[in-house]
Amino acid sequence: MLKIADLGQFVIDGDEQGIIDHVNLLIEAKTDPIAIINEGLLSGMNVVGEKFKNGDMFVPEVLMAARAMNAGMAIVKPLIADQDMPSLGTIVIGTVKGDLHDIGKNLVVMMLESAGFKVVDLGIDAKVEQFVAAVKEHKADIVGMSAMLTTTMTYMQEVIKACQDEGLSVKYLVGGAPLSPAYSEKLGAIYAADASGAVDTAKALTA
Amino acid sequence: MGKDLILKTLRHETVNEVPWVPFSGVHAGFLKGYTAREVLTDGDKLFESLMEVHKLYTPDGMPVIFDLQIEAEILGCELLWAEDNPPSVMSHPYAGELTVPCKCKIPKITDGRIPMVVDVMKRVKAAVGEDTALYGLICGPVTLASHIRGSEFFMDIVMYPEFVKELVGFCVEVCNAMSSYYIEAGMDVIALVDPLISQISPKSIEALFMEPFQVAFDFIRSKGALSSFFVCGDATVQMDVMCRTNPDGISIDENVNIYEAKKITDHYNITIGGNIPLTTTLLFGNQQDNMKYIVDMLDNIDHHNLIVSPGCDMPYNVPIDNTVATVQAIKQTETVRKMIENYEAVDEDIPVELPDYENLEKPLIEIFTLDSATCAACTYMVKGILLAEEEFGDQVEIKEYKYTNKVDIARTKKMGVQHLPSAYINGELKWSSMIPSKQELIEVVGQYL
Repeated sequence: MLKIADLGQFVIDGDEQGIIDHVNLLIEAKTDPIAIINEGLLSGMNVVGEKFKNGDMFVPEVLMAARAMNAGMAIVKPLIADQDMPSLGTIVIGTVKGDLHDIGKNLVVMMLESAGFKVVDLGIDAKVEQFVAAVKEHKADIVGMSAMLTTTMTYMQEVIKACQDEGLSVKYLVGGAPLSPAYSEKLGAIYAADASGAVDTAKALTA
Repeated sequence: MGKDLILKTLRHETVNEVPWVPFSGVHAGFLKGYTAREVLTDGDKLFESLMEVHKLYTPDGMPVIFDLQIEAEILGCELLWAEDNPPSVMSHPYAGELTVPCKCKIPKITDGRIPMVVDVMKRVKAAVGEDTALYGLICGPVTLASHIRGSEFFMDIVMYPEFVKELVGFCVEVCNAMSSYYIEAGMDVIALVDPLISQISPKSIEALFMEPFQVAFDFIRSKGALSSFFVCGDATVQMDVMCRTNPDGISIDENVNIYEAKKITDHYNITIGGNIPLTTTLLFGNQQDNMKYIVDMLDNIDHHNLIVSPGCDMPYNVPIDNTVATVQAIKQTETVRKMIENYEAVDEDIPVELPDYENLEKPLIEIFTLDSATCAACTYMVKGILLAEEEFGDQVEIKEYKYTNKVDIARTKKMGVQHLPSAYINGELKWSSMIPSKQELIEVVGQYL
């Protein structure tokens, strides 16, 4: 008999069809949809995050896993009232102005969602006013910023200053190839080296 | 000669000094006050900037252009241009369709920016190609495939491996075409720059990309040039499979531990290049940090099969003096080791009396250098400032202080000099790393007479 925990392996394997088939079976069997998310889909994605951090999985495999998980989420989410959706907090995230690199940022988004955060993704080339507006609208706990270029990373400072000027009480999580823990600290932000690290840091910041 | 040093090192022969290759891509423009976009699109400005790189950084080898978007632009990707970075790819013409481009799309020598690049390569070859190994940099086939296909390419690797093989096969043909153009234009080394390799599992690389890379590197060698494989990011676990693609050299950035990586490249008798940290050391460090980094690195690594270079394309506005210090540490390691020791030993007790700048009899120009006898940028600074003596004779006084002795180091510290070489007039900083033109020098010194 199919167990919820078995869903995790389908996520790890990036088996989208396997997830669709088995989530549907579990729902037919009247399984709690929130348990499907927490004990099946998200727990599988947590393993993916660990494997990614340890160098046992790479970007292609992680993207496949996220795709499979999202296919399961798409079936389960409509069955759950919004207020019952598990959430660890809200994060507004974007690749900052002038920068179009989004592979890393997208991985972070997937991992954060998988961990149970509500993520508002501003995409690439995200400007100060977009960050500020999104933080206000969604009452965000964290602003996440990504940059791949040494020149665009300096824009993070402007975003932080604008949020502070608006009196927004948020924490800042940053990442990307040119950043370092020391530079991030100067900005008043916390650095995450990879997508998995971003999840750990976000959990610590919202704890 | 620097060129021989590079060629011999990439042929794995024994050499008596470690070669140095600054990856001055858009940073070359910074040296002459040109934007990134200007040096990547205007041949004259690029050439002028490269001559400045050659003059100030005395490279053994140097790239002519560092822009991984040249091929993608020709294949239909739209670019977002920046003034202080290479452009980024905005659109992917093959996103949403599993189509391999027609071979008719392989760039011709007349396409896009290739004519400008080839022309500059020929001019640089004529100007400095006798003593400097020239690098032609090409977008690697995996990164090129992702440029034209978009991020779906990553999932293609898992879902459609046969398509990926075909697409990367096409991209290798693009690489080979570009290699031909650049080798004919005089490039000694062709580097396939493929940053995305660090994001793909060694297993997938072996199954899908090892053979195409081998084909590309064999092609470069068949044309009489040497080959290198540049990667960015943490490619620690990919090092072994990268070696098995058979390049003559591999270049890594600071995300890889070069001491551990060299054990692997040595096992395959491949030359390794790297890996001065781009931001923490080159961009945000000072001269001491850069000198220390190089001395430590050279103390802890076998010099055979080694090229010292930045981890990747240098950030646009790397302080010039940091690179000058880096060159000095690579080429005058023992002197620099002494400088660092002296710097650390010097305290404020060494009696240094600064001149009474308010009451000088005549303008005093003080030049602070690492050592004008061995550091090219310092030599040019001293020569440039001495033109004031030619112009004004004994109406001005000129002094040089070198970082090779403790008393001068103490003076440099007491003056609060941040960058070497620098020139001060009557105690006021006038030129830091940037060497003034004769006209500018005369104008500025004239104000003190």
